Parts: sequence; structure tokens; C-alpha cells
Amino acid sequence: MQGPIGIAAAVALFAIGTLGLVLRRDLVIKLLALGLVNTSAILCLLSLDAAPGRTPPFLSPAFTQHMVDPLPQALVLSAIVINFAILALALVFVMRIVEQYHTLDSQRVEHEVEGEDA
Amino acid sequence: MSRSLRTGLRAAAATLLVSAFGAILWHGFSYGDAGAARIDRWIDTARDLGTRNVVSAIYLGTRFFDSVLELLVFAVAVLGVRHFLGQAKLHESVRPAAPVAESHVVSAAARLMLPIIVLLGVYLAVHGHLSPGGGFSGGVVAASGLLLAAIAIGSAPVTERLGRTGLERVEWGAMLLILGLVFAPVALALPPFSPLLPGGTLGRLASGTNVLPYNLLIASKVFVGSWTIVQHFLQHRGGI
Repeated sequence: MQGPIGIAAAVALFAIGTLGLVLRRDLVIKLLALGLVNTSAILCLLSLDAAPGRTPPFLSPAFTQHMVDPLPQALVLSAIVINFAILALALVFVMRIVEQYHTLDSQRVEHEVEGEDA
Repeated sequence: MSRSLRTGLRAAAATLLVSAFGAILWHGFSYGDAGAARIDRWIDTARDLGTRNVVSAIYLGTRFFDSVLELLVFAVAVLGVRHFLGQAKLHESVRPAAPVAESHVVSAAARLMLPIIVLLGVYLAVHGHLSPGGGFSGGVVAASGLLLAAIAIGSAPVTERLGRTGLERVEWGAMLLILGLVFAPVALALPPFSPLLPGGTLGRLASGTNVLPYNLLIASKVFVGSWTIVQHFLQHRGGI
């Protein structure tokens, strides 16, 4: 996916993810939405400088002309692994919440916590 | 505050956030001449380091402090998963999934593919400064090979063969060695993150200063960390 199309797809994914994160009450769906937001950020970074005719970021006689900006790719490389680890940790927290409150509904969890505090 | 009003406010906040994201991208979309000059600077950085892969020169060269901190975040996440899933016990009503015996074809194919996938991961890490790849992708590829084996022959046999203590040593040993290589130049009165190894000839395997050892250590760390996460989830579930 290149340039403006990639950016448009990233904004659409970001919108779907953010709305899911804010409006859905199921904690697992919220995590899936968070994953969608992460993916949209990655797609956005990769699409920023991608355009037809751009070459991969390698020092090679075939690729020195119109090289794509390597910085977003360097940022994305580690972000993918970090996203995986953070989502796994968040899923573990959700499992702990379910064990304690026996629900995946974020509002019910909020009410239970408020009830404990009161 | 009623539930519908609260939902409406949340939706409005989300829409505002998405609009801001779209507006920022709309205005900052084109790099122009400044972008071309920056790309030339990255190419010079890669030449100085002796790496063909310009992305490696960035995340293991000029921005390596960023990569080290990301590795620390990864290490903390793995530690969290290990700690909380190690403590967690399944509720009485939840029965662990019974291990499903895979067909002989699947298990034989997985046994055949495992060394090839792990070898591909090692290749990606070793050649990360010359071709597409690097420590992060190499580690994840190798860990996916173990996941395939866990699906085909079960997570318990794979864990037994690998040995948990040895894996933990590899994981934390790799992290300590990375930090050691980062701060070793201080002993030579050089700033931290300075390269210690020679640059070598561009395009050769023994080139790229510290990039090759960093890639190998990062691959080890990511390989063991990713497998640890997957293995703890499988163990908690009782099988796959």
C-alpha cells in the first residue's frame, strides 16, 4: 500500500480502533481495538514516504536513486515486537480482572471497584 | 450522568482524536527537499558504520539508545507475563484444554520445518546489516518455529527439551551483554554507545562495527522473550 492510499487506510483503521476502544465495553474487544490502533500507526509510518519509484533503503548501485526514508522503517521494526509484548501483558491483566470480578464488561468492573472503595 | 450522554461524549472525544490524527497527517504528509537531505544523511551514516542496510544503521547506530530502551520495555513486559501468569490459577469451572494428538504428517512436517525456520531466523539476524532482516525480525521468526512445534507436538515436550532455566539465562545474559557493550566504551574514555569493533569492508559479513553482535544478542533476547510469552499462555490454558 503506497502513499495517500496507505495514509487513508491508516486513518480509517485508527478511527475504527479508537471508536472500538472508547465505545465497546468488552475488555478483549478493547484490546483488539488497541491492536488495530497500533497497526494503523505502523501502516501510517510506512506509508509516509512510500511512493511509486522509491527504492528499498539499501546501499546498492541499483537502489541509490530515490531511496525511501529509512527512519520510519527503523521505528516500525522494534514497534511491532513491543506491540506484541504489550498486548500480551494487557491480556494477562484482563485475565486477572476476569478472575477477580468474573466479567469482561468494563463498566461492571468500574462499578465493582467503586463499590469496594465505598 | 446518563449512560447515553456518557457514550455520546466518548464518541465525540474519539471523533476529535481521529480528526486531529487525520489533520496532522494531511499537513505533514510531504517531506519535500528537507526529506531528501535527511535521506542523504542516513546514507552517510550507513557508510560510516559499514552497513548496507540503512535501517540497521539507524536503529543500531544513531538511535541505538532508543532500541535499548525498547528492549527494556520488552523485557519488563515478558517479566510481567511470566510473573502474573505464573501466579494465576485456573478457576475451578474452567477445565484446561485437553492436548489434541496431531496427525503423524503434521508432527513429522513440524519436526522437519523447525530447524529450517530457526536457521532462517539466525540468518536474518546474522545478515541483518547486509540484507533485509535484523535481530528483532530474526528472533520473532525463530520463536514462530517453536510455536509451530508446540502446535504439532505439544508445548510441554518442547519446553522440556529446551529447559526453562537455560532459556532464562540466555534471555537475561543477552540483555546484560547488550548493556555491557553499550557501556564498555566508558572504560576506554569514550562516550557510551560508541562502536568498539572495526567497520570492515562494506558488504562483507564481518563489517558494520557492533551491528552484527547487537543483532545476534537482540535476536536471542526477542526469541526467548517471545517464546516465554507464548509458552506461558499455553501452559495456563493447559495445552493447545
